[in-house]
Amino acid sequence: MCSVGGPTDIDLPEDRVAGKDYRCKECGERFKGIGKHPMCPSCQSEDVVQI
Amino acid sequence: MTVSVGNDVLHVKGAHSFLLVASVGKAFPLCIETSCEEYIQGVHAGDLVVVSAPEAGPVEPALMLLELVRTYHLPLLVLPRDHPGSKRIPYVVSVGPAIQTRCSIVRGTHPEQHLICSSDELAGITLNGNGDGIEISPLSPTLTLERIKSRDNR
Repeated sequence: MCSVGGPTDIDLPEDRVAGKDYRCKECGERFKGIGKHPMCPSCQSEDVVQI
Repeated sequence: MTVSVGNDVLHVKGAHSFLLVASVGKAFPLCIETSCEEYIQGVHAGDLVVVSAPEAGPVEPALMLLELVRTYHLPLLVLPRDHPGSKRIPYVVSVGPAIQTRCSIVRGTHPEQHLICSSDELAGITLNGNGDGIEISPLSPTLTLERIKSRDNR
């Protein structure tokens, strides 16, 4: 059984996370997104482009 | 089996552990903070927030944790592997459209939010937010389900 603890259930190994770099077309924010539907952390727009 | 709880929380109870499951009502960007990077996951209406308590304990803090993420969109903080503080926190969280419970995972082996650590008795469950409610498969007869009213509905 896995141990209990940590604020999340995951320990993201930096070299394995499939994060992609995006830029928000609304506000210009750059961020690293994961998942199928990236969303800008600043303005919550989904109008983003992978860079 | 699909359970419709609206904005409320589904309490999946085993003998020695539990899960809380709730649907997200409105899209938001979930920030996942590691020691050296920030990742952003788009969370959408109908996605699930799951809190797992592999060693049980009180339900109220788990509810608070669920709402801190679902309602208040607090970031998830990820501790580095073998951080001494990990063993002191008894609840874990995952967010996404479909989440599977696992008791055999080793931390660091599932980098995205589709897996959550659970006890043996709750392992192997797939939770799907299918728009009509929360789909649970399989649902063992040893588990019980309870609907907990969300704070907004109390």
